[in-house]
Amino acid sequence: MFKWLKSFACPKELAAAGVLGMNRRNFDVISKYNKRCLYPLVDDKVKTKELANKVGINTPGLIGKIEYQHEAKNILDIIKGRSEFVIKPAQGSGGKGVLVIKDYHDEIFVTASGRELSYNEVYQHISNILSGLYSLGGKYDTAIIEELVHFSNIFKDYSYQGVPDVRVIVYKGFPAMAMTRLPTKASGGRANLHQGAIGVGLDISTGKALHGVCRDVPISVQPDTGADLMKIEVPFWREHLIIGALAYEMTGLGYLGADIVLDANRGPMMLELNARPGLAIQIANGIGLKNRLQEIDNTYPSGLTAEQRVDFVLQKRAK
Amino acid sequence: MLKQIFSVRKILSIFLLLSIAYAVYCIYYKVEYWGFHFAPRQNADVWSIEAHISFDPTGEPIKVSLTTPRDNDAFKILEENVIAEGYRIRKNKASSRLILSSEAKSEPQNIYYKIQLFDNIDTRGKVRASAPEEPQAPVFDEQKMAAAKQLLQLAQKQEGDTVSQIIRLLNEEPLQPAVQSYLPVKLNQQIMVEIITDLLAIKKIPSRTARGFRLQESKKSLTPDLMIEAYIDGLWKIYDIKTGKKGLPDNFILFQRGGQSLIDVEGGENSVIRFSVLKSITSSMKLAGKRAKISDQEQLYEYSIYNLPLAQQNTLKWLSIFPLAILIIVLMRNVVGLQTMGTFTPMLLAMSLVKTGFVAGMLCFAIIMTLGLSIRFVMSKFNLLLVPRISAVVIFVILIMQSLTIVGYKFDFNIAQSAVFFPIIIMAWIIERASITWEEDGALNAGREIFFSMIVAIATYFVISNEYIRHIMFAFNELNLVILFLVMLLGTYTGYRLMELKRFRPLVKK
Repeated sequence: MFKWLKSFACPKELAAAGVLGMNRRNFDVISKYNKRCLYPLVDDKVKTKELANKVGINTPGLIGKIEYQHEAKNILDIIKGRSEFVIKPAQGSGGKGVLVIKDYHDEIFVTASGRELSYNEVYQHISNILSGLYSLGGKYDTAIIEELVHFSNIFKDYSYQGVPDVRVIVYKGFPAMAMTRLPTKASGGRANLHQGAIGVGLDISTGKALHGVCRDVPISVQPDTGADLMKIEVPFWREHLIIGALAYEMTGLGYLGADIVLDANRGPMMLELNARPGLAIQIANGIGLKNRLQEIDNTYPSGLTAEQRVDFVLQKRAK
Repeated sequence: MLKQIFSVRKILSIFLLLSIAYAVYCIYYKVEYWGFHFAPRQNADVWSIEAHISFDPTGEPIKVSLTTPRDNDAFKILEENVIAEGYRIRKNKASSRLILSSEAKSEPQNIYYKIQLFDNIDTRGKVRASAPEEPQAPVFDEQKMAAAKQLLQLAQKQEGDTVSQIIRLLNEEPLQPAVQSYLPVKLNQQIMVEIITDLLAIKKIPSRTARGFRLQESKKSLTPDLMIEAYIDGLWKIYDIKTGKKGLPDNFILFQRGGQSLIDVEGGENSVIRFSVLKSITSSMKLAGKRAKISDQEQLYEYSIYNLPLAQQNTLKWLSIFPLAILIIVLMRNVVGLQTMGTFTPMLLAMSLVKTGFVAGMLCFAIIMTLGLSIRFVMSKFNLLLVPRISAVVIFVILIMQSLTIVGYKFDFNIAQSAVFFPIIIMAWIIERASITWEEDGALNAGREIFFSMIVAIATYFVISNEYIRHIMFAFNELNLVILFLVMLLGTYTGYRLMELKRFRPLVKK
């Protein structure tokens, strides 16, 4: 009984550790700095992509999109001549409805996990996307087909299938906290922490691993590959942060999460943005977010460009 | 920024305090001037009994004499009404009879006598009375007397006191031969009472007839039941002439005591008296109305819920418990931090549990969920589109409910029949969401969501099914205003959720 009680922290202890709770995030941060009218910019991936290309953020190339049920049969024309691509809902969240096709030939689709799908099954999947199965609130959605990211070998040993990515929390344009999310066998190759992916907190000034967590439990070794998570060091770190900082300029969201993948050939690319990024990043970093945000509120300068902000953070945190 | 939050919170706090003050004042007012109670019982049962007397006049002056119930400990008379056009009405207090008289009339006559009784459940007791005269033994011939004495002999083998023994013997199944030959072939309540009275008279126990109603809801017209009262140890004790049970049955109102007739009509023939009884739980609020009238606050009362027709009152009574259920949902989600399927789904589940009863409802829910999920898993192989798929699940849920009800009826298994009370669409969405969560986030997450939803539903159920809470929320509906501001104030709560204390525990520095 007492042991069970001990698994709870005292609110005071959490406050002392600077932990940001869900209620405070919603009330003090999101409802203040994220205007509702800006949400569509990040909820719709087609819009996000267009905006990103305008401000010069790299994103996976758009192959085509399908808006109406009767267009679903066009999929074969759209992908003609390609052997790999990703089909995803434009308004999906949490990696839902993302279909990664590694190998396509003669109307046979091989997914990232090696499963073979027929044309009918893929057609069905697109149809589900259009009817709003994966979208927020079940609205009619658009299916987008984009280029497959060839993620850098850097992450090869650390993730089981799927696409590992880097999540940067950006507050008022300043990168505040970062982690990398590594798919595992348990997460079904998806990079979502609540599905069982690993989160590894990254030092905001260097991109080096700080602390690992899986299902809210600290972890230091990738369970599927046995690789030492603490050896992770994300290359092109400054470029990662600049993508995050630019996302602020691009959307106007005061508190956002930028999901960035590292392509072996094209460098860091923005996958999507999130206007309500989760709080698990604190556990992955072993540090509370509240103090960071307060520090940015109180001591960080305003009126800087994206690059200046990133450099300011790199310098400030390097000490 | 901080200043802004503070002021919002401050404003809401002030409103909350104001609403609390208002609610306290209203509660005081309602208790003091309208006679509302905190406990549901005292405010509850009000029975209205209507006696409809009809007869054909014979052309002579008419005089109708009707027994009326006395104000007694068990029931208080709230209102007494006689609708009798052209009659002089007089009430004989001593004998508790209503006497109506008029000139000779020609058309068939209809007289209505209506009373409202308030069930004063706490003070129900035995009636103390002065000793009656010792009864005279009935005049029987020798043979009958011998048979009667034999019966009294036999009766001693039955359970209970002397009176109970006799009644039980006469009602035994099957009757003993001696009893059978003693009883007349045509037996009705009246004759039964006479036989019992005679037998008791032989035993020198004074007794008398009592007439009353078993107050039953939804029974439109009824005939008065006869009971027998025996004078034992200085008290009149009442017995059921069928079971021999001592004491007034539940919800039994005595209309008449002693041997007088129920109704006498002079100057009329073919007289018929019909009774109808209506139980109105909420019309006890009318009692408040009457009090309000007396104390000159009618105006206020006319604009309150309690002045509405009963049907509307019942709907509003159901509605006025919602805010409390909503408060629980808000607490569970924002303060405890439980993730549930859909925001108000647990509340709707709790509402159906109230209708089905707890165990029956839970069993039914489990059956519907299990069957629904298995069917949904088979269906996920067909890869149907969203809207047709969820529609199919809805139809499956309907079919499951139908078969549960039919099977339940067939095997007289009442639990299954409560299936129809579950909201069909909500059940279908729970199944759909559970199966999608299951496929995407694994069984663990799906199970957890269902589990948390059920916990919230059960907690809500126990609060809203409580008679006291329901009564208080309806009788003192200003409390809903307090809940409103409480919910809004919770909207500014920025503290940690209970679940976060566990989740972020690793962040605490040692």
